[in-house]
Amino acid sequence: MLSWEFPPRVVGGIARHCEGLAKALVSDNHDVHVVTLDFPGSPGYEEMEGVKVYRTATELGHPNFLTWVLLFNHFLEKRMADISQQVEFDVLHVHDWLTAFAGISFKHYLKKPMVLTVHSTEIGRAQGLHSADSFSIDGIEWWVAYEASRVVVTSHSMKREICDHFHLPWDKVDVIPNAIDVTKYKASVDRGAVRARYGVGWGEKLVLCVGRLVPQKGIEYFIRAVHIIAQRYPEAKFTIVGDGWSRDYLESVAQSTGHGWKILFTGFISDADVIALMASADVLVIPSIYEPFGIVALEGMAAGVPVVASQVGGLAEVIEHDRTGIFVHPRNPESIAWGVDRILSNPDHARWLTQNAREKLHKTYSWEAVAMKTVEVYKKAVG
Amino acid sequence: MREDPSSGFSSGPELPDEMRLLVMLHNIGATESGKSLTVQQISEWTKMDTSTLQFHLQKLSELGYVQFIQAEGTDKYHLTLDGIRKVLSIYS
Repeated sequence: MLSWEFPPRVVGGIARHCEGLAKALVSDNHDVHVVTLDFPGSPGYEEMEGVKVYRTATELGHPNFLTWVLLFNHFLEKRMADISQQVEFDVLHVHDWLTAFAGISFKHYLKKPMVLTVHSTEIGRAQGLHSADSFSIDGIEWWVAYEASRVVVTSHSMKREICDHFHLPWDKVDVIPNAIDVTKYKASVDRGAVRARYGVGWGEKLVLCVGRLVPQKGIEYFIRAVHIIAQRYPEAKFTIVGDGWSRDYLESVAQSTGHGWKILFTGFISDADVIALMASADVLVIPSIYEPFGIVALEGMAAGVPVVASQVGGLAEVIEHDRTGIFVHPRNPESIAWGVDRILSNPDHARWLTQNAREKLHKTYSWEAVAMKTVEVYKKAVG
Repeated sequence: MREDPSSGFSSGPELPDEMRLLVMLHNIGATESGKSLTVQQISEWTKMDTSTLQFHLQKLSELGYVQFIQAEGTDKYHLTLDGIRKVLSIYS
């Protein structure tokens, strides 16, 4: 398995996806080797619950991102060349375009099939191709999808997107939903203490938003909904968890609403703290404008918090409106405020939604199921 | 070019200058104390003048994304773990 991020190098969903899948494959008696990039404080090689993890240092750098990607792929290739002297691989599994070069090289060198998982696309992330780098990344995404024997995506909306955009044959692409480890969400949480830690007093509402602070997450629209929500719930507090390059801009938007003092930006916090916050919140808002899957929705469902989400991409497949969550219109602060009100104004309905959500989660989104379906894809690729 | 945030907003604001510097520091490998770089070295890589660099490095340091160490009689800079995550969030 090739991925530019693997725990503890965690940025978006790819690291957690690779970790969950790799561990589940090992549990199913497969031999899994993950080749990834180094991270300060982590060893160059270790076994994590049976998964063999090789972390590779990039010994040359370059200020340009694409050049840097080419360089780190070279060092991944060198590491894989060493590993392939000891290990006979049956299939290569590449995650997203960032490790495309190493994956494609090794596909041809080893004469083994390559499976690609597309977690998102450049045109979706950037909401268009606005720069020369974006055009290059889009081209690399097409190239690696073309070279792959099989392509995996996490939602039907992503399947439609990549089949349309990259002109892929419909039957080359398999949909395997994401999953989460529900055991992490079973620890008991002192809601009062957690809320107090984040400045939410007794009798106040905690409206939570979790996501990277980048435009595709639509957090600006959540912030613009705050003054509407505050009219009906003046006691509500708003906590935004995550970091990203748009943070300065979003903080300035928050100040411009006149309710900036009610909006807390936590920055990056640990998984345990995210889970505790989710379990302590009154509502979780996912205001994305582009979301290939939306694993944060599963995390909210597991934590037992009612979810209000944009009806976009994978979110539209994960949530059933008014049965496991509430859909709102993307890029629409009034609609987000309506969704939050629907939860806060009817606690019994909110509880019913969370019960339904937990049932659906346990039935549908387990890593064991993901591993089983992925093995079927590997078998198709091997032929 | 990304669109102006005031023009209907589709892809968000421009990457701020200090964030561009953070990205470049990451990509040239200044990601731990052993790989820290002096302002002069960073200037050679990035083609930014040293006074602008010092201004941005100060801000990045206050934000917790960059750390400096004293080595060989001079300040040397590298990204913190939060700084690395901040950079990676742009492309993930």
